[in-house]
Amino acid sequence: MDVKILWMYHDLMDLYGDKGNIQVLKTRCEKRGIDVQVDTCGIGEKQNIDSYDIFFLGGGADREQNLIFEDLLSRRDAIEQAMKSGTAFLLICGGYQMFGKYYRDQDGKTVNGLSFFDYYTEAKDRDHRCIGNIAIDVEMDGERFPAVGFENHGGQTRNVSTPLGRVIKGHGNEFQGQFEGFLNDQVAATYMHGPLLPKNPMIADLILKRGLKRRFGDVALEPLDDVLETQARTIMLKRIGAEAPAANASSEN
Amino acid sequence: MDIRLSLVQKLHSILAKAGRGGSLPGELALRLDPKFLEKFKLPQDVVLVTGTNGKTTTSNLVAEALRANGLTVLNNHRGDNLNVGIATTLAAGSDPEYNITAQALVLEVDELTLYRQFRTLKPTALVVTNFFRDQLDRAGEMETIIRKLIEVTEDFEGHLILNGDDPNVIRLADTAKKAKVHFFSVRETIKSVNISDEAGEGKFCPRCGRPLAYDYYQYSHIGRFRCSFDHFGEIRPDLTVTSVDFDHGTFQAAGKTYHSFVNSIYGVYNCAAVLCLVRAMGLKMEPCDEVFSNYELKEGRDEVFELSRPCTINLVKNPTGANEVMKYIIAQPGEKNICIFLNDNDQDGHDVSWIWDAHFERLNDPLVKTIVCSGLRAYDMALRLKYEGLEDRIRVIESAQEAIAWLDEANLESHVISTYTALHSTRAVLAKRVKRGRRKWM
Repeated sequence: MDVKILWMYHDLMDLYGDKGNIQVLKTRCEKRGIDVQVDTCGIGEKQNIDSYDIFFLGGGADREQNLIFEDLLSRRDAIEQAMKSGTAFLLICGGYQMFGKYYRDQDGKTVNGLSFFDYYTEAKDRDHRCIGNIAIDVEMDGERFPAVGFENHGGQTRNVSTPLGRVIKGHGNEFQGQFEGFLNDQVAATYMHGPLLPKNPMIADLILKRGLKRRFGDVALEPLDDVLETQARTIMLKRIGAEAPAANASSEN
Repeated sequence: MDIRLSLVQKLHSILAKAGRGGSLPGELALRLDPKFLEKFKLPQDVVLVTGTNGKTTTSNLVAEALRANGLTVLNNHRGDNLNVGIATTLAAGSDPEYNITAQALVLEVDELTLYRQFRTLKPTALVVTNFFRDQLDRAGEMETIIRKLIEVTEDFEGHLILNGDDPNVIRLADTAKKAKVHFFSVRETIKSVNISDEAGEGKFCPRCGRPLAYDYYQYSHIGRFRCSFDHFGEIRPDLTVTSVDFDHGTFQAAGKTYHSFVNSIYGVYNCAAVLCLVRAMGLKMEPCDEVFSNYELKEGRDEVFELSRPCTINLVKNPTGANEVMKYIIAQPGEKNICIFLNDNDQDGHDVSWIWDAHFERLNDPLVKTIVCSGLRAYDMALRLKYEGLEDRIRVIESAQEAIAWLDEANLESHVISTYTALHSTRAVLAKRVKRGRRKWM
């Protein structure tokens, strides 16, 4: 069994340690004897996006986002093709925003998104920036568990029909909001850095399963030793007073 | 005279006698009078030093260099670089009528504080060391910081001393049209490299967004770069350091040999900034050699504690600093243990994701025996190392006392890497163990 991962704009869209997500996906495959191939794709580079099982796009500052958006829009058909072929998507922060309708910055300048989904993002002033540790109650692919991360975004994302989770502590999609991220059968999108996956290996494994499904159907993943991961997450949940509301909170132990 | 000022000064002198100081008097001052900083009559020369790394060292070297030129200098030598620390420094150096008595004021200023206080502090010279990713959640994205600095320097008419080898810094020259711009630069050394996996923030031309071409890298994105499209980076340095000799800790500038206080490329950059400033101010460069060679690094910068075996402690605040410290540790011969204190208090930054931007894979070296992870985010650190294949060598000991005790008892040379808020307490624990050890042997 093998999995092919495409890391989009690795040299530009890599904020707040987002590259750690790739390391987690890679390592969790290797530990299970699943062959893993990670390719990168920069501006103007040719890659057959629909030949990949997992598509990863991280966050970037406004300047970086402005540099890539034209290139990204030019790949819309290829990305749509990948969606049709069953590719799993993980999108963080800026990557999340760009799959929506548009992003409007503080000065009112609007950049069109890929418009795969109906959500849109408008930046608020500096005083309403969503910064800090965040905990959410995730419901994904039939599992429910708490996840932690660090959010740092000015953009307020609205009109999200199916969020990734409910906010326990922190802001989420909007300043003092109730929901965080976006989720459908193929796409998981979130503002959570930290990076996201090291402390939330449950999400990492669900993304891997989604990716593997494209060519291998439903796959059961061998459990891994996640003692450090669980400790790191539990300490953060306790610290911010967001201890697990969900019943099967630590089911991965 | 102002009763508020004299109250703050009294508090400062009491605390200073007790070996304390720092932010408390300044905090009181700004609470009593929010416009406290604006009250002072500043001296003729006001030098501000800002940037991500090297602020404390560079500003202390600047202060010493001015003193060596015969000036009396007031400076915030302990690195209290926020509003409150600056208020403390000014109060301590003022007469009862808010006159700063020294002939020159030298302040290291935090990047965001600089933006807020630039017009109040009315600098005659501004030194910018470098811009790297730092404690992001507090400071905002690096781009935001640079934009703010661009904004305040647009009508600045003083000396602007810029690191000519940092693309993020020389951008300021494009917009600071009224300033007297001076670049410092360090020529290629034996340690320069042609490719780098560290140059996260120097990949693209800030003018046109095209990739920058590098002739060589010194460390991180510091090096010789240019944009072939719009010639960004083709600067003419006012102060060029050549012939850096890492065997002897020397370098040359303007036809003279200088001795660096620390045998590292970033130390050389600190010196280059100082020489460039001194020359721009029309002062003598020669006395700087003695300043550099006599300079002692501050607490937590390559500081050695004699445990059962020597233990060296270094402060890290961001990926670039961490990368440089790790390079140094790995270059040391012999087996060693490492202990990393990772905290996420206000001054450290609440976001510890920066550890994923740093090259901790460097620690995957056969001579590194055990890596103790400690501090408030010990498990985050352990996780980071796990993903570099160091799983078998990790030991999590959350308490500083116990972590240092473990290092001491392991009877192996050790290196402590500490974030800002863990530094003070860790040094205290180390100092205590040194004393205990000596007593035992006597």
